Amino acid sequence: MGDAAYQWDFQVIWDYRDVFARAIGLTLSLAALTILFGMVLGLVLSLLRMSPLKVVRWPATAWVELLRAVPPLVLVVWIYYCLPILLGLSMPAFQTAVLALSLYSSAFFAEIFRAGLQSIDRGLVEAASSVGMTRSQALRRVVLPLASQRMLPPLVSQCVLVVKNTALAGYIAVADILYQGQQISVQTFRPLEVLTTVAVIFLVLIVPMTMGANVIESHIRRKYYR
Amino acid sequence: MEPLLAIEGLHKSFGLIEVLKGISLQVQRREVMGFIGASGSGKSTLLRCINMLEVPEAGSIRLAGELVGFRDTPRGRRLLPPRELSRQRRRMAMVFQQFNLWPHRTALENVIEGPIVVQGIAPAKAREMGEALLRKVGLEDRVHAYPSRLSGGQQQRVAIARALALQPEIILFDEPTSALDPELVGEVLKVIRDLADEGMTMIIVTHEMGFAHEVCDRIVFLADGRIQDMGPPAHIFGAEAGPRTREFTRRYLDRHQIITGAAHG
Ligand SMILES: Nc1ncnc2c1ncn2[C@@H]1O[C@H](COP(=O)(O)OP(=O)(O)OP(=O)(O)O)[C@@H](O)[C@H]1O
Ligand SMILES: [Mg+2]
Repeated sequence: MGDAAYQWDFQVIWDYRDVFARAIGLTLSLAALTILFGMVLGLVLSLLRMSPLKVVRWPATAWVELLRAVPPLVLVVWIYYCLPILLGLSMPAFQTAVLALSLYSSAFFAEIFRAGLQSIDRGLVEAASSVGMTRSQALRRVVLPLASQRMLPPLVSQCVLVVKNTALAGYIAVADILYQGQQISVQTFRPLEVLTTVAVIFLVLIVPMTMGANVIESHIRRKYYR
Repeated sequence: MEPLLAIEGLHKSFGLIEVLKGISLQVQRREVMGFIGASGSGKSTLLRCINMLEVPEAGSIRLAGELVGFRDTPRGRRLLPPRELSRQRRRMAMVFQQFNLWPHRTALENVIEGPIVVQGIAPAKAREMGEALLRKVGLEDRVHAYPSRLSGGQQQRVAIARALALQPEIILFDEPTSALDPELVGEVLKVIRDLADEGMTMIIVTHEMGFAHEVCDRIVFLADGRIQDMGPPAHIFGAEAGPRTREFTRRYLDRHQIITGAAHG
């Protein structure tokens, strides 16, 4: 550090543009699948956690707390090495990463869904019943629209974390952006340029997500909540 | 004549606390009945049982002779399936203390949501009806406003229009003006008074003693989960009322006099 004479050379990045392009595609598909499975599993977990039955609620709660406590890297590596030993089931690295990151994020999605659904004023649901709506009509027409407005900001934050967490897949040799970046920097001795590029790529992927969410959120607030 | 609403021996507990300890009363068609009583005496619970927002443990509620919420089978009394419950609820509209308008729907949409979703009425026809109802409650210029842009009094009038959209046989009001600033109470009471004049059957839980005295045909005084007194306003506010009733109403009258006295003094 402190060496002001460092000569930046981004030519190497350009030479490796195809590798970066493939890595971006892989990171995006890893993130998309993780968000998809994480949300579906999270929705199921949140419904189980709100069940009136203790025997259903309690295991779901324990499962969510467990997943939230384990560091995601541990989960990725553990599933990669232990699943084959425990179940005799060996999965390719990419599928393992999708599984581990989906499980991990599902716990957080579950908490977002639960908080969102429980934040809806009971009186609004009673008003729906009083005009004759059944439970499922009240869910579709009142609870879900209002809850999704409220859940949008935390859901987007969670999606951003999923995109960032894809970098952990590199530990089991999934060729994501960070993993490929490290390979390239070893080959070219240009770690600073490579890491800068990786940072910029993540920025370009993530900033539109949060900006889009902010635009939608302020639109909702202006329209419905003055 | 058969009463519109007949309640027999109604019991309701929350956990170990018995809130309603055997309530029996009848409401005739075109009658306006007031429920008064101290906070926690079970007024809301009684109203919510009528509309099956709470399920009573014992007793019966009949609407024009039809058992509400349950059906008698050879193996005992069974809760009605959701569709049947929905049909019965639409015959009894509810107006809540906190308005409970859906914030993501405009005034008009709040009014016509039920008819469109539940009854499957064509949107164009429903809009026409909704606009007419909003005109009736004096909100023809606020049709497309979201609830957050309406004053409390305007929100409660939308809620009354939403209740009317069900074309109910009876409207149940749970302290419709308690959440309002004093200067907004009048506009809501006026709408309710107009409905009374049109012959709408209503039950009104209220702390507005003056209004109850003026509008109700009969008033029920609840305390300790029982009906302590029931009769026309002249009886409830008169000298023949029971001692607990007199004590309760006197407290309100005292407070009223203190306020008006202070204003004059
Ligand atoms: N869902 C519930 N669970 C447990 N207790 C309840 C529930 N709803 C009401 N209660 C209790 O039942 C009693 C009667 O409540 P209720 O709301 O019917 O009184 P109220 O006469 O409407 O009072 P207020 O004038 O304050 O509105 C109170 O002691 C209250 O705490
Ligand atoms: Mg009450």
